[in-house]
Amino acid sequence: MTAEASPVLAIRDYSLAYHVAERKAEVLKSVNLSIARGEILGLVGESGSGKSSLASAIMRYLPRNAEENSGDIFLGQTDLRAQSQRAMSDIRGSRISMVFQDPATSLNPTLRLGEQLAEVLIRHQGMSKAQAWREGEERLALVGLKTPAEMMHRFPHEVSGGEKQRVVIATAFACNPELIIFDEPTTALDVITARQILDLFTELQAKTGVASLYISHDLALLSQTAQRVAVLEKGTIVEEGETAALFRAPSHPYTRALIDAVPHPERSLAEASVNASSGPLVKIRDVSVHYGRKSLFDSLLRRDFKGVAGNRAISLDIRQGEILGIVGESGSGKSTLAKAMTGLNRFEGLIEFDGRPLRGLSDMNRDYRREVQIIFQNPDASLNPRQKISEILARPIKLYGSKGHATVRDRIEAMLERVRLPRSFIDRYPHQLSGGEKQRIAIARAFLSSPRLVICDEITSALDVSVQASVTELLMELHRETNATYVFITHDINLVRQIAHRIAVMYRGELVEVVDSKAITDPDRAPYTRELLAAVTPPASTRLDAILS
Amino acid sequence: MSASYILKRVVLIFYTLFVVSVLVFAITQILPADAAVMMLGENATTEALEALRQQMGLNDPVWMQYLHWAGGVLQGNFGISMRTGQPVGPALFSALGTSLTLAVLALVFMLMLAVPMGIIAAVRRGKVADLIVSFISYIGVSLPEFVTATLAVMLIADWWGLLPPAGYVPLSQDFWGGIERLILPIIVVSVMMIAHVSRMVRSELVDVMHTDYIRAARLKGLHPRRVLFRHGLRNALLPAITIVALDVGYLLGGVIVVEEIFSIPGIGRSLMSAIQARDLPVIQAGVMLMAATYSIVNFIADLMYAWLDKRIQYD
Amino acid sequence: MIDFLRRLLRTPQGILGCLIIAVVLIAVVAGGWVTPYGPEDMQALARYKAPSATHWLGTDQYGRDILSRLLDGARSTVAMAVLATFIGTLAGAVLGTGSAYLGGRADEFIMRTVDAVMAIPSLLLALLVVSLLGSNSWNALLAIAIAFAPSMARISRSVALTVRKQDYVSAAIARGEGAGYIVLREMLPNVIAPIVVEMTIRVSFAVMLFATLSFLGLGAQPPATDWGLMVSEARQYLHRSYWILLWPSAAIALTAIGFNLLGDGLRDALNPRT
Repeated sequence: MTAEASPVLAIRDYSLAYHVAERKAEVLKSVNLSIARGEILGLVGESGSGKSSLASAIMRYLPRNAEENSGDIFLGQTDLRAQSQRAMSDIRGSRISMVFQDPATSLNPTLRLGEQLAEVLIRHQGMSKAQAWREGEERLALVGLKTPAEMMHRFPHEVSGGEKQRVVIATAFACNPELIIFDEPTTALDVITARQILDLFTELQAKTGVASLYISHDLALLSQTAQRVAVLEKGTIVEEGETAALFRAPSHPYTRALIDAVPHPERSLAEASVNASSGPLVKIRDVSVHYGRKSLFDSLLRRDFKGVAGNRAISLDIRQGEILGIVGESGSGKSTLAKAMTGLNRFEGLIEFDGRPLRGLSDMNRDYRREVQIIFQNPDASLNPRQKISEILARPIKLYGSKGHATVRDRIEAMLERVRLPRSFIDRYPHQLSGGEKQRIAIARAFLSSPRLVICDEITSALDVSVQASVTELLMELHRETNATYVFITHDINLVRQIAHRIAVMYRGELVEVVDSKAITDPDRAPYTRELLAAVTPPASTRLDAILS
Repeated sequence: MSASYILKRVVLIFYTLFVVSVLVFAITQILPADAAVMMLGENATTEALEALRQQMGLNDPVWMQYLHWAGGVLQGNFGISMRTGQPVGPALFSALGTSLTLAVLALVFMLMLAVPMGIIAAVRRGKVADLIVSFISYIGVSLPEFVTATLAVMLIADWWGLLPPAGYVPLSQDFWGGIERLILPIIVVSVMMIAHVSRMVRSELVDVMHTDYIRAARLKGLHPRRVLFRHGLRNALLPAITIVALDVGYLLGGVIVVEEIFSIPGIGRSLMSAIQARDLPVIQAGVMLMAATYSIVNFIADLMYAWLDKRIQYD
Repeated sequence: MIDFLRRLLRTPQGILGCLIIAVVLIAVVAGGWVTPYGPEDMQALARYKAPSATHWLGTDQYGRDILSRLLDGARSTVAMAVLATFIGTLAGAVLGTGSAYLGGRADEFIMRTVDAVMAIPSLLLALLVVSLLGSNSWNALLAIAIAFAPSMARISRSVALTVRKQDYVSAAIARGEGAGYIVLREMLPNVIAPIVVEMTIRVSFAVMLFATLSFLGLGAQPPATDWGLMVSEARQYLHRSYWILLWPSAAIALTAIGFNLLGDGLRDALNPRT
């Protein structure tokens, strides 16, 4: 009875601030949290919410400019704040451990996986190298790796992302800790791999009963993983409670906004189906893209060169006014196709736009360029950091001409309003804007040319959930106003089901199938499509919908 | 590491030497020096000069002279010195040996100082030790070798009389005496490299210590020492190999100056006298040897790097 | 411009660098006129003097005022070094960006050849060129420019390639922008900044290289006031007065440090994201 009453992790009235450039930035304000044994607490927050700082604070790994108040952080009976660094290093890895977001960067690239796993056992359990190595192999088997002995000798770059994360998880569980902090462990992984890791986590947690703090920005994911959820907004826990109750009746407006922002596949935003009787706007026939080039050396030695295939004989129609979603994991070739269509990649095969045939970059004239626009994923990279917004947005006007008598500046300001940005932004530089604001500029730039086809290459992937929702909303509005055709490339299945008329599924450079969005869940879909959907539509997402409807 | 990886780099060495040879041959062609006059003297008869020119092939078209010379080089024949009348090869190779002794000792000395300095500066970033190392680096990298040499000779040899100011004794003849005379040259030639490399090591190590995997290692509760040495240094020192290899170019330049000041009979000194005397064959051979040394050092560095960094693709 | 200067003066390197180089620049520009004595005025009765009220830095072996000679020599040492670096950078930048733009086999070929030329130590290359053309300051300038061009080509190419890969360049290509606009308005502003930083740091090498050439007798010739030459001549008079050696050495070192610091300061100031 009383053994359960004492929480594994107890944070009481804890505040944290950083001293940056003579100012004090408050990162966490009076945080109260507790996690009981065997419990999974989900912590949801967007970027800037302070969730990573909370993890660092618990691990007592804060930068020099950090200032804490008198709040408590207790691990069981141990006052973590009172521990010296040496005492903390005994605790880290053995009583508390952590699983990080990106296994590619959180593993040392020059050491074998086995060593990185064995070293915690050697450090905390006093094993010899041989013992630790053997124990490590057993641990790798427990996380579902098929050939543990071989895996121990591998280097990180020799194994896949999913395998790496399994090793990281094995390392976290190795010393049977009381608490594990999971910091967005599936965000950097592909959809299908992420599902596998999530299943692994659930299984291990149930088996060991370790208390878990699961940090994520993904509400849908937390809804099916965590027993309790705490919502962190700008350093304050605005709401906390049992998962089902929280989702059924959120009391705080921020929680409500977050829940609303989650894409619901069942709620389609696209209007009624598109009229397919007029011919397709774009016909793609047998388009292939190869990367790589024969080097001078290879030519001298007369060696054969096998390029890397980015796309293999893709054939696809894009209908007027529709929103075509293209989904696939990384490496599926979706961006490659987009780049071929905008003349950024050489391709073989034929692309027909509005009846005009195009076989290469030279066929893409000024008109084509005006009518076909592309928006990139990362707004930091797609806006020239040395140009003001006025110059960035003036380019399409200057290139494609301006109808009517409005001045360039007027047109830019009108467009800024249309994308819901203040007119004063016209004189700013990109680095003075937030990620979402920059992406709106990129959208504005594309629409200034009154395009007929807009290719969106993962444009919401780098944004926070709530920002994603508002950008998506803007996109749909513009679609209604202009009736432009969209090609919406993404790895987010739920989002694409929500906004697209038809969905094209790609895998390893090939087009698997193209179907109506409503038909995507039909049982006679291709095996890969079904696998993809199964990874993303776990029972609890429908549980979320069931709760909400 | 595949054979084609090595082969590609070997081919590059030959290409490099080819380009250098063309360049140096072109330069020496434009130098206003008449080999025949140099050998026979100003007062020789025109017939004698003409005969010698004919014999030495100086009237042949340039590309033929080049092929003639290149062919000789490939067989190990570097021609006859215009100044001494002796074959260029043997004298120059022995001079190269002397220079390499100096260079290698300087390299070792530099590594022994620069790497620990860089590590200390990185580990104690922002503190006094770091500032001191930074200060020394800035100064070291701003002192040309001749300034360092002159000041060193002034302080250590003339004023304090600790070491002899110049002169060279081959190590085979008198080991400790030779070493004693090499100490100042070694220090002088390595000052700039110490400054540069320690700065590089510091910068690389600071970057590495900020990576996610170092953070992950600390959060696993590993001892800071293990994190630094086993995780951090391995990744920080790897790029240092490439940088040191590139710095060998500066090292060879510095060797020229130092050999002049300390009267060490190395390849730098031979080159200097050859340049001043317009002794073309020696100039050509000397430059080739220096370029070859640089290329081979970089080749070895490439191989070491590829062997140590498992991520390099060997194709 | 004001904003830029303010950014430059934010870091300690920027402040110190600006300070030192400002002093040096004043010496270069106004040096010839401000000298208390003529750089070649010999005063037989005032030889080998230590620093004093009449001769702030002392006098040399011919009784010439060292301070005057230093100020006079600033022009030949520093101005020449800056000019040499600038020309070398320009040549290298054109070669490097051109190679990056051409891409493919041409790029590979050009870069391998540039690498080959870099196998010759800079000092040696400069020595060869100077001996070829004759020993004077202007030939030394040309020699240094030629010696710097290959490495600046490598750096320019590397920067140009990085910029070329950015999405904003892809966006411009996709819009159908002309090559001229892309190179001049999209790429160049982002390429210039790192190259300017590198160039500033190179000037310190040029100062040292220039001085070394003069020291070896292949740059400026006596009775010129080039600092390297002053050090070279001072060596034989060490036992009479070490000040003759000390001051030009300090001047060379200080100038080189100054440009180094300035370059580091510029790196931060020119970064658009900070």
